[in-house]
Amino acid sequence: MTSLFVNLTNRLGLNYEFLATGYEAQIWRDGFITTLYLIALLIPVSLIAGLLFAACLTSGKPWLSTPVRAFVEITRNTPTLVQLMFSFLVLNTFVSNLVGGTQNNPLTPFFWVVAVVGLHIAALHAEAIRAGIEAVPSATVEAARGIGFSALQILRYVEVPLALRASLPAIVNNLINLVKLTTVGNAIAVSEITYASIMVWTQRDNVVSLMIVILLFFSIINLAVARIGLWVERKLAIPGYGL
Amino acid sequence: MTTAVLSEQRRNGRLLRNIGFTALPLVIVLWSLTDLTLGRELVTWLPYLGSGFMMNVIISLCAMTLGTTVGAVFGILELVPFKLVRYPIVAYVQVFRNAPHLVLIFATTYIFPFEIVVAGNYLPFPDWLKAVIGLAIPASAYVAEITRGAVLSIPTTQWEAAKGLGFSRGQALRWIILPQCLRRSLPPWMNILASITMGTSLASLVGVHELLHAATDASTSVRRLDFTIIAYIVVMAAFFTLCYPIARLTLHALLPDRPPDPTPRAAFQDGLRI
Repeated sequence: MTSLFVNLTNRLGLNYEFLATGYEAQIWRDGFITTLYLIALLIPVSLIAGLLFAACLTSGKPWLSTPVRAFVEITRNTPTLVQLMFSFLVLNTFVSNLVGGTQNNPLTPFFWVVAVVGLHIAALHAEAIRAGIEAVPSATVEAARGIGFSALQILRYVEVPLALRASLPAIVNNLINLVKLTTVGNAIAVSEITYASIMVWTQRDNVVSLMIVILLFFSIINLAVARIGLWVERKLAIPGYGL
Repeated sequence: MTTAVLSEQRRNGRLLRNIGFTALPLVIVLWSLTDLTLGRELVTWLPYLGSGFMMNVIISLCAMTLGTTVGAVFGILELVPFKLVRYPIVAYVQVFRNAPHLVLIFATTYIFPFEIVVAGNYLPFPDWLKAVIGLAIPASAYVAEITRGAVLSIPTTQWEAAKGLGFSRGQALRWIILPQCLRRSLPPWMNILASITMGTSLASLVGVHELLHAATDASTSVRRLDFTIIAYIVVMAAFFTLCYPIARLTLHALLPDRPPDPTPRAAFQDGLRI
């Protein structure tokens, strides 16, 4: 099966010979799995953190909203790669010094990718959800207050359900960005798909062949994310509400 | 809520934003002043960091110019009635809009040769130019989508009215449709500009001498943890001062000029919309 594929693509001028070898094929497969694992882990992490940030931003308490606003603005307006390098080179060193030596440091590069990319996308989610919460008509909130809901209950039962529906398109957009951002892990040697591919093509010099697969891989994932987003949007739509 | 409270809140927000805008440079200056050895080290390295940042600006401007030109043409071609023209372009836009910027920078860096032969002369093909192409590809895909969306957002009756006035299809596009599209597509275009500008830091991973690369160079040769921290804060501050005004301008371009109508009528309509 593999040899047939290698032969056929070879006739097209593409080089997938490494798939027949055990070691390189293994690295490459693991690269795909690591990327998928990163995505599966990052989506819930970013959504939960984004919801928390949005709750802080709309709380109306300056001591809560000001630090979060500062974090969101800095995160949104600086490159993720710079944040990742800063976290990995500076914060990681602090943690190492704190626990007494690099060998004791429990935080892996993988952790830092999840933390940095997760919080970066969470900041984007927070902006989208905040806009959604502010778009909830004030009369609805007042009615809820009139029935005797507390501030937290209003957030939980009135504002967030409506805001999530309004901000879903923006959130799906952010999730597509998240999928693309997992590649920055390459910079700190997390063996996701681009890192694994570099390992292969430095040996085999088959950049074009690998590139075609990587581009198709990301296209398919993002298509799937967009489709699922659309499905959720339809599923949650309230008839007559116009969302 | 009364107008006075609203305007008060807006003034507070503006104050907060201005503080936010100068906070990072302020941290850098104060820290350099409290620890003068660190400050002196930073001052000696600033020109080097500055030369790196120039590269970011150049890459970003070149990539956006190239991407916008190609993208605008592609966006219009996406609306051409011939499938043979339309389908390849739709495929191009779909694939490269979904591709990570880093992957495309790797692709152009490793696939293109390091020099090109033009009429027997060997011309060097530097890495930064490859990074420009690597970032121009996704930029062109985004711009194509924006252009297509903007043209489609103009009501068809305008095309018909233009036809009635004796405009050809090309003339209607040039004189009636595109000028309106330009205004509508400015905010999303500026989003792309910010995104591509931040993407230029990825070029450091393929060895282009830009700001992040310069900061890494500086911190490895100084070998002081506090210098490493301040070097990266300088990098963040540089990108922030470049990208934050773009984000603010985008918001301004999106919002209507007049403040929200505080009359009871507007509030009433607000309530009706539920």
